[in-house]
Amino acid sequence: MTGPHITLDDLSVDFDGRFQLHDVTWAIAPGEQWLITGANGSGKSALAAVLAGEGDITSGTLSGLPDGVALVSYERQAELIAAELRKDDADILDVISDGTPVAEVIADGCLDEQLAEELVDTLGLRPLMDRAFRKLSTGETRKVMLIRALTSGPDLLVLDEPFDGLDHDSLLWLRGYLTDRAKTLPMVMVLNRFDECPDFITHMAYVEDGRLLHQVDRADERAFGELHQLLHLKTSDLEVPAGDPAIELPALNPDEPLVQIKRATVRYTDNVVFENLDWTIEANQHWQVSGPNGSGKTCLLSLITGDHPQCYVNDITVFGFQRGTGESIWQIKQYIGYVSTALQWEYRVGTSLRNVIISGFYDSIGLYTRSTDTQKAIADDWLALLGMTDRADEPFNAMSFGEQRLALIARAMVKHPPLLILDEPCLGLDDMNRQLVLALIERICAGSTTTVLYVNHRTQDHIPGIDQHLAL
Amino acid sequence: MANYFNTLSLREQLAELGKCRFMHLDEFSDGVEALKGKKMVVIGCGAQGLNQGLNLRDSGLDVSYALREGAIAEQRQSWKNATENGFTVGTYEELLPTADVVLNLTPDKQHTNVVNTIMPMMKQGACLSYSHGFNIVEEGMQVRDDITVIMVAPKCPGSEVRAEYVRGFGVPTLIAVHEDNDPNGEGLALAKAYAVGTGGHKAGVLMSSFIAEVKSDLMGEQTILCGMLQTGSLLCFDKMIEEGVEPGYAAKLIQYGWETVTEALKYGGVTNMMDRLSNPAKIRAFELSEQMKDIMRPLYNKHQDDIMTGAFSSGMMEDWANDDAKLLGWRADTAETAFEKTEAGDVEISEQEYFDNGILMVAMVKAGVELAFETMTAAGIIADSAYYESLHETPLIANTIARKKLYEMNATISDTAEYGCYLYNHACVPLLADFMTGVTAADIGVGLDLDDTAVDNARLIEVNAAIRSHPVEEIGAELRGYMADMKRIV
Ligand SMILES: NC(=O)c1ccc[n+]([C@@H]2O[C@H](COP(=O)([O-])OP(=O)(O)OC[C@H]3O[C@@H](n4cnc5c(N)ncnc54)[C@H](OP(=O)(O)O)[C@@H]3O)[C@@H](O)[C@H]2O)c1
Repeated sequence: MTGPHITLDDLSVDFDGRFQLHDVTWAIAPGEQWLITGANGSGKSALAAVLAGEGDITSGTLSGLPDGVALVSYERQAELIAAELRKDDADILDVISDGTPVAEVIADGCLDEQLAEELVDTLGLRPLMDRAFRKLSTGETRKVMLIRALTSGPDLLVLDEPFDGLDHDSLLWLRGYLTDRAKTLPMVMVLNRFDECPDFITHMAYVEDGRLLHQVDRADERAFGELHQLLHLKTSDLEVPAGDPAIELPALNPDEPLVQIKRATVRYTDNVVFENLDWTIEANQHWQVSGPNGSGKTCLLSLITGDHPQCYVNDITVFGFQRGTGESIWQIKQYIGYVSTALQWEYRVGTSLRNVIISGFYDSIGLYTRSTDTQKAIADDWLALLGMTDRADEPFNAMSFGEQRLALIARAMVKHPPLLILDEPCLGLDDMNRQLVLALIERICAGSTTTVLYVNHRTQDHIPGIDQHLAL
Repeated sequence: MANYFNTLSLREQLAELGKCRFMHLDEFSDGVEALKGKKMVVIGCGAQGLNQGLNLRDSGLDVSYALREGAIAEQRQSWKNATENGFTVGTYEELLPTADVVLNLTPDKQHTNVVNTIMPMMKQGACLSYSHGFNIVEEGMQVRDDITVIMVAPKCPGSEVRAEYVRGFGVPTLIAVHEDNDPNGEGLALAKAYAVGTGGHKAGVLMSSFIAEVKSDLMGEQTILCGMLQTGSLLCFDKMIEEGVEPGYAAKLIQYGWETVTEALKYGGVTNMMDRLSNPAKIRAFELSEQMKDIMRPLYNKHQDDIMTGAFSSGMMEDWANDDAKLLGWRADTAETAFEKTEAGDVEISEQEYFDNGILMVAMVKAGVELAFETMTAAGIIADSAYYESLHETPLIANTIARKKLYEMNATISDTAEYGCYLYNHACVPLLADFMTGVTAADIGVGLDLDDTAVDNARLIEVNAAIRSHPVEEIGAELRGYMADMKRIV
């Protein structure tokens, strides 16, 4: 298929000061059919509108746009209606006007009358042809918009949520029709729901905060799956599942800090990791811990979790236990959820994805206790949130690195611990998986009373809501 | 001191050998209570000492280390192990007089010396514990009457003892009370609490006797666990070289092959391991293993007999007295073998290929496991115990070969096991020489040429039935079932 070769190079666009697209670099080659996705308000519709010549370019270049670009979108629809209403106002008062009839709106700019006639019949608009355009329902208006775009002899068709508001039969028909037209007509489509993505789409773009963050070739199944999951985490209205009501932790004294470390020192025979470190963590105080490699970030955290043996020779009180006074490590761990790369390496036990999540209730690596039905249900709710429902029974060690990380974060959070420790949760992940993890953490932070300790040396992996900072 | 076992009457010997009971989880409901607030002092901070101590402390118990003067003064590895892990370290004089429980985790060879040194310093009514009963059973160590003597023996290398605890589980553990030394009747309570402290109760505890532990432990480690793997490694490698298999490939097939094929044992015993082979390969492995069992049976019997009569331990003690001449000689010989000296090649071998091209290795594991089990149970050792000392531990030892070949295996196991392993190997290699002439690259290195996987139905049924009906499979299914019931969900 021949077609336009459209290039956006470092393009920034302003829409009346209300919204901006930033630094978009994107190329649509002949033969490619694109889908743009992103959460609401991400800028995916704006990016589509740019192709139809909307917005003011503030920097960068846009080249290769063909002449005939037809755009179907809510905005265009609203504009047309608004124009109709303005016409009403302008009319001489003594002439009663119903506005422009549908037939006229369709004829306006139509280059293929035969096709228009066919589409009017297929979409059931025939009885409405004499009706005023502005009196149509939203779905009917949308059909009119589609007919206008399809009969305008376009070189590029830009469809922003074309299936929205259509009745089931029309929707099915449109999918089939577009599939047919796509053989010769380049298209860019905006869709909120991944599962509506037609088969003819060859490439995907993901937009967030006015930026084009990912471009994925559909043939790359793995990237396609990850993008799907990212969109799910960003847009799904599922809640973070509640904890297990049957597990009751011994209550913490609300007047005491969660963690109090006094003059802590960790040393080995030949080096000192840190000395005289004081740190108090109050409940609901979220902390970011940063420092160069080797500064002892992980070491410090493991004094809290009890995984570092020198916790016994330091003055440390966690969750009311002065360490080294006869408490067991499991009494400490019950209050903590923990994720790190090291944990992922250690998690080499052959078990299912669901069991990995359930193991968070028992602070174990692998599952050694018969879990309850409630716990299984909670784990399944987490898998739904992660967009991994159909993979519950797959072996954990066969999953990709990024998927494992997501599951381990769910495992850490499944019991809603008073303290959640995230030790470089994005380490070793590619861009897409980093965003997946951050999206999940953000959702967790938003919906719970857990205190979060977050170790990261990449400042761009910032999580909203974390305000305290410890630099090592 | 005389061999303790040999001082008992036959009736008593049989009674002790037959002691073995799988304990239920609810027998451990008191947790570590019996040890709470008691002062536990570990002697030696090596493989078992360090890792058991870490677990016990994480279970809320008071643990410190008494090391010999030299270790402290020279800041040896044992001192570093204890100090860097934040334990109190002191001399015997400093720590032993106030100790409630003393854990003797020094090498078995040192036990007589160590126990004689520490006994006078121990307080009245304290407890002395071991992780292996050699000193009591084979050397007849007499411990002061007021001291309680127990054993808590994890059936795993020290590193596993720790790793499983950290995962929230434990390793199967054997506990025992030395009846001659249980003055206050508290031995069992202490041993149970200790097993809970190391996490062993979660994986299964066998209540046994010092004697049953020693006689089965020695047998297992000498034959299937270490000896058979060493002999198998050397014979299979040399055969492959003779058959023209690329040396790097041969070395890799063996180094990682034991681990891979025995992993299948963990999940479903010998049956599952054999089921990983194609039908023709399974029949071939079965036949090879039957031949080897016939050839090796007298050797397995001899090992068990020597262990029972005390001939093995007195032989080894002679070598101790002779500055370990034999042990060191065999160790050096092992380092010089072609297998040890050939680096594993940089070739990809898939999991299934280890089975397909390692038919002889599978046959050796099967023959060794079954023979060791048969010999132990024929000598009066209870099936549960024989299972743990044969099939159960094989994959754990195989893992060590994957790390750094025979060197690593022999460095990880106890000195006693290493001596027994060489002793076995020394006899078994020549014993199998004739058998090996009948083996080809199809059995080891290249695999069967399987254009036609047809087998005779009747023969396959016969072979499957023989594999599945072996008594080690029966008890294995039961014990693995308990494990799953104690709810390991693998
Ligand atoms: N390894 C296993 O797989 C295993 C499994 C179950 C049970 N066990 C049993 O556990 C016990 C300990 O074995 P292991 O393998 O842990 O031993 P190991 O790793 O060799 O450690 C022995 C420790 O004892 C110290 N030591 C050596 N000679 C000593 C002496 N004369 N006096 C005082 N301390 C001495 C050593 O430290 P210094 O030399 O620095 O003083 C070292 O820290 C044995 O009874 C063994 O049978 C072992």
